[in-house]
Amino acid sequence: MKRITILLASLSLAACASHTNIDIDELAEARAAVAASKAAGAERCAPKLQAEAVAALYWAAHEYSEHGIHPDENAELAAEAISKANEARNQGSKNCAPAPKPAPKVVEVIELDGINFELNSADLTATSATRLDKAVATLNRRSEINVEVAAHTDSSGSDKYNQALSERRAASVMDYLVSHGIKADRVNSKGYGESQPIADNTTSEGRAQNRRVELRIMK
Amino acid sequence: MKKILFLFSLLAFSLPAHAGLFTSVEDRAQEVRAQVEGNNNYHAELARQFATIAVTEKGEHDKAAAQEFIKMAEDHAAQAGGAQ
Repeated sequence: MKRITILLASLSLAACASHTNIDIDELAEARAAVAASKAAGAERCAPKLQAEAVAALYWAAHEYSEHGIHPDENAELAAEAISKANEARNQGSKNCAPAPKPAPKVVEVIELDGINFELNSADLTATSATRLDKAVATLNRRSEINVEVAAHTDSSGSDKYNQALSERRAASVMDYLVSHGIKADRVNSKGYGESQPIADNTTSEGRAQNRRVELRIMK
Repeated sequence: MKKILFLFSLLAFSLPAHAGLFTSVEDRAQEVRAQVEGNNNYHAELARQFATIAVTEKGEHDKAAAQEFIKMAEDHAAQAGGAQ
């Protein structure tokens, strides 16, 4: 009984095995061609050709599994898989733009405490410059990171004014970092106006917390 | 004993029924094509290709291959994101 069970289990597993596992030269070549076209982006750029190639490969593998039946047709199917895969690869590399890169995500936020500006201005105060030197040191030490300088205001004044002010302040901080040796392609700036408060805008303490600048590490 | 036989019969019929073995390959192929109609992405194209192969294999009396290809067609149709 045990032997019968093992035999049945083995047969079941054999039935589940992929058709494409058969070791035949033409199939190996077809498999390689399909893998190459897939790597060239054919699933996205030439989906019909790639699907035809994959289907022909599977069909050929199935036919080869029926040993000795229609050998010429089997070879034709494998050849079709190779031909379609090569066509898909060529079309994919010619006609297709690279896949859009995912938008960078914020992975860490460094609060730049003590960064202040002249009233209604984007000019940094003298004490702020000293603080920003620490940020320059951090960016020099962590040369692998890119950052967004994010500036925020409190809710005093109009949305439009606060938005413009935050953009100028973010740009001002970015200019400082770049002028002190940080490569411009590692930094960008963005103003968020009053849209992202972290404290209550009805109190003076809350508003002070909301007026802030952050370095957002992007990946 | 009767109860055991009854339960066994239920089980014996429910498994192939669940696998769609009592629906013809042609009907399942038609269902696959309807499911991805107008959709030209890779999975939809592959679903159509496998459905066609399944029907061909059934025409050549290779029912096991037909079942396997139609199952693959249905799997890819499910990944295709529906008709468009």
